[in-house]
Amino acid sequence: MLSLPSRTDRDLYPALMSPVLCANYPADHKAFVRIDVSLRIYWHTLFDICPELLELSGPDGMSIFRPFMAWAGEKKLAFDWSYYLWVYVWLRQSPFKERLLADDKYLRSIMAASAARWAILDRGRDCGIVIGCADTKNLVIGWKCRSVRLGREIELIEPEEPLPAPPDIFGYFTLQSFELDIFPGWQSLAR
Amino acid sequence: MRLGFNFTLGDTYDMVQRLIAERHIDYCEFLIDNFFCVDPNELAKAFDCPIGLHIMYSKFLEADRPTLVDFAARLRDYIDALNPIYVSDHILRFSHEGRAFFHLGEIDYSTEYEFVRDKVLQWQEIVGQRIHFENYPSIMDGGREAPAFFERLMKETGAGVLFDASNAVCSNRNCGTPFEAWRNVIAGAQHFHVAGYRQSLIEPFISLDTHAEALAPDTMSFLENFRSVFDKPGATMTYERDDQIEFDDIVADLKLLRNLFGVAEERRHDLAVSA
Repeated sequence: MLSLPSRTDRDLYPALMSPVLCANYPADHKAFVRIDVSLRIYWHTLFDICPELLELSGPDGMSIFRPFMAWAGEKKLAFDWSYYLWVYVWLRQSPFKERLLADDKYLRSIMAASAARWAILDRGRDCGIVIGCADTKNLVIGWKCRSVRLGREIELIEPEEPLPAPPDIFGYFTLQSFELDIFPGWQSLAR
Repeated sequence: MRLGFNFTLGDTYDMVQRLIAERHIDYCEFLIDNFFCVDPNELAKAFDCPIGLHIMYSKFLEADRPTLVDFAARLRDYIDALNPIYVSDHILRFSHEGRAFFHLGEIDYSTEYEFVRDKVLQWQEIVGQRIHFENYPSIMDGGREAPAFFERLMKETGAGVLFDASNAVCSNRNCGTPFEAWRNVIAGAQHFHVAGYRQSLIEPFISLDTHAEALAPDTMSFLENFRSVFDKPGATMTYERDDQIEFDDIVADLKLLRNLFGVAEERRHDLAVSA
């Protein structure tokens, strides 16, 4: 018997992004399955795109996923294109920090994933995004689809003259054309 | 009934060209806001067939007016260049308290009607175009209120419904929304979607609109039972496939639809002329 409201999706909105709240629903109830479907997509969005992270967590990913989602809930993270970057921010202050920083493949994967997500989701007029990180001199650029025959494109740039490091762990700026010809300064991630 | 295929990104370009060339489809539906950085004239020349425009991320229930005005200005460039058969959008929630859903949320039809009606009126006014809004593949029991909601919305806003037949099948399986409850909506709709669905991984099983499988038997039965309500002059049905994209599998499903609905009126005319 479920005592929580569950007539509509709307009754479940807060739980759709919270493994903690999901646990309040009995596992044999449709509401639990509905929430589970939602949570699985957050999981797959992270680990299908950045499978390297499973090397840190183990194959079910839960030692990263559950505490990150709880932390994200406390911080009220928007889960926008920067979703992956915030996972890195969390990993950096987690027990995984040492292994994370020992191999830059994790950072490369995470920056590329966020650049791609921006290119997929952003509906503003900008054509590209440049993401920088205090832990690397390299930049990652995400380009929106520019031709009917192409998809989005992600580039890793190793600049000859590095840009100044972002003041926070990550910074970004957007490009109004399909050229990297400006550096307007770093913007901080919005939560 | 004209049959179409959803074109969401360039990697299916060659396949869609082949579907058109081999006459498996009569038109193509662009997920148009994926292409907002592509020259409208390039899009207009991309496929030699009529075009539908499907909007994914206007977020018109949540976005502020300046954002919508800017979105609509860019959309207009594509409407003007492509002269689409229809423009369609979604009634759903992309976020809650500023936090994004990755599996998009259904609205509460009983408490949000007036809010949605006003937003629909505003969005059509901003775009300057009648818009067809897609029904959701309901999971929770509130989904049973969707048919009456869409029926009323059409009457009071002049909007159309982009009726997704397989979403209605998911809703029927998940919360028991009777197919018969959709009769008036289907009768008033001209543009349709259809796709495969799959079950959830855990029990009690729910059906999820995944666009990655073959058309299910109950979807085909629904179409067969309501065939005369779906089919009408100018009607379109877009077959959606976003994953497991295999040409032969897609063609097999399109043949099922063609066998059910027959060759479209427009195509019959073409064939008569060429004969």
